[in-house]
Amino acid sequence: MRRVPLPILVYFVVMAVLPLFMGSSGQFYDAFQTIFVFSLVGLGLNVVTGFTGLLNLGMAAFMAIGAYTFAILTSDIYPFQIGFWWGTLATVAFGALAGFLLGAPTLGLKGDYLAIVTMGFGEITLDVLKNLDAVTKGTQGINPLPRPTFGSWSLDLQEERGWYWLLLSFVLLAVLAVRRLERSRSGRAWLSIREDALASECMGIPPKRTKMVAFATGSALAALGGALFAALLSSTGEPASYDFQVSILALCIVIVGGMGSVAGTLVGAVVMVGLNSLVLVKLADWAGAAGFGSASNVLVSPNNWKYLIFGLALILVVRLKPDGLLPPRLEGSSG
Amino acid sequence: MSLLEVRGITMRFGGLTAVDDVSFNVEQGQIFAVIGPNGAGKTTLFNAITGVYDPSEGSVRFRGSPVRLEPDVRLGLRAALVAVLAGLSSFMVINIQELWTVGIAANYMLDQPFPWGKAAGDVLDAARAVPFAWGVLPALLGAGLGAGTVAALWQRSRRTPDLIARAGLARTFQNIRLFTDLSLIENVLVGMDSRMTSGFWTNLLRLPAFARERAWTEREALELLEFVGLAERAHEAAGSLPYGHRRRLEIARALASKPAVLLLDEPAAGMNPSEVVELMELIRRVRDRGVTVILIEHHMKLVMGISDRIVVLQYGKLIGQGAPAQIQADRRCIEAYLGTEGEG
Repeated sequence: MRRVPLPILVYFVVMAVLPLFMGSSGQFYDAFQTIFVFSLVGLGLNVVTGFTGLLNLGMAAFMAIGAYTFAILTSDIYPFQIGFWWGTLATVAFGALAGFLLGAPTLGLKGDYLAIVTMGFGEITLDVLKNLDAVTKGTQGINPLPRPTFGSWSLDLQEERGWYWLLLSFVLLAVLAVRRLERSRSGRAWLSIREDALASECMGIPPKRTKMVAFATGSALAALGGALFAALLSSTGEPASYDFQVSILALCIVIVGGMGSVAGTLVGAVVMVGLNSLVLVKLADWAGAAGFGSASNVLVSPNNWKYLIFGLALILVVRLKPDGLLPPRLEGSSG
Repeated sequence: MSLLEVRGITMRFGGLTAVDDVSFNVEQGQIFAVIGPNGAGKTTLFNAITGVYDPSEGSVRFRGSPVRLEPDVRLGLRAALVAVLAGLSSFMVINIQELWTVGIAANYMLDQPFPWGKAAGDVLDAARAVPFAWGVLPALLGAGLGAGTVAALWQRSRRTPDLIARAGLARTFQNIRLFTDLSLIENVLVGMDSRMTSGFWTNLLRLPAFARERAWTEREALELLEFVGLAERAHEAAGSLPYGHRRRLEIARALASKPAVLLLDEPAAGMNPSEVVELMELIRRVRDRGVTVILIEHHMKLVMGISDRIVVLQYGKLIGQGAPAQIQADRRCIEAYLGTEGEG
């Protein structure tokens, strides 16, 4: 049996015990729940962009599709109400289907053209969600959403720790799935397309079908992330919470962590989302306490510097460690 | 019947005719060489045979059959299914607001059982009342688009490199194209893909079939690496190999699909004399495994030393073919090629 790479093992052990030392800090749990949601989206994008080499700038759309599918199927404002677990399962399936449907006509496109299509798809999805208000409730979002139940016990929204571990287990499942695929015939086919599309085709790998499976897998993971994001807030939120910035954040996670590296994606999510929801929040608190905060001067609030800092982080990584913080290591060479 | 029959292949790129009406037969078990000066169209010919290019004219028959998808009942059924689904969904998409309101919003009351039957009936009634412009038109348009997409995709995938590779023609490239970030053994395993049967779910759920397949494929991949003399580096990255070894890995990767024909595009390019001798030996051993070899090569000692039959191309035209001794004696061939080259 092959060993699990050390970084992944360390990540899960540290993450699993971390809450025991954090007391009940709301900020900590908010940040890490978001980190786990984006780890799922990042893992999905890692399959599409990191493994298969298809630039996808519309991950947020698949997140939104996941969130709304989950909401429509489970919320008590609609008659379906299939519950948290079936809802999650159906969402994953529907996310994969959505990936297939977008992929079928477009995956013949090369490089940047595919990126433009996925970007457009993201914008169209937002507009549809905004305007289809009979179904999606427009900018209001769909709420309330059900809590996950375990037998007769259900996880309350205030149970920060319970949500933390629940989300962490979903990340664990996703990591397991992605790594299993990566180290099998399916994953090798994806990697070969990234490495050299022509050579891969001449070795008998059907390019379209292989890319479609990668696309569907990635979309399914992003949809799962979206569904959990919505369940966590008990609302889909407004459609604008799944805008282009979110797609870019997902891409930053994969680039910063290391394209094609599962462990890298996990670290990338911690760094990028942590920067956003822990460091900047702390900075804002501190600035406020030190008397720098001022409603009239937008430049003082660290939150408004968010995208500047994201950009800076991205430039630094690309400049100093172009393969990411944890680049993919060759199978078998060291673990 | 020859193993591979090339019939009047012509390849035009705009006004340029790179390959002009070339025909030849390759018999089972031969080492067959294609020679000619730079720019004679040798690689283009390879690309036309292996499906990278679609020939402007002419055909390639492998074991007597043109390697391409033929229309069948399944294709028709698939197109019909996609058309129906696409038509239905475009109808739904256009009218979803109203149908949803009539069917779900109007019938649903919190904490009351939902009348599924009545809702379905209401939706059907509403759908029937949809005017022509919002009902039949989008449905027809969607159906047409769906069927058209299937047809277009099928037409474009009739003769693709993956199809030809799966039929049993494997190749290497002039400018070596390995999967440099993958290990040697993974490169060979990608080549073996066409012989694997495990699907997505088998791999995801690690069903017993996964372990069985992994066992035999890895064993065979190692044997192939052994065959080309690279077994001890099996787990290193292909990108870390020195140039001469890369050629060998490319050959192992191509052999992994158990091809009937192996096409080698300038395998000796950039090799030193002792490496060329090893390569000749390797090509002979490949032939002895029962694989027919077609090679493009400039290295005359190699070509004349191992080929059973040679064709000579010049400016895209076939100007001579025969056994090595015949080619060496043919004045046209010498003028075109041998006479102008200094190498031995």
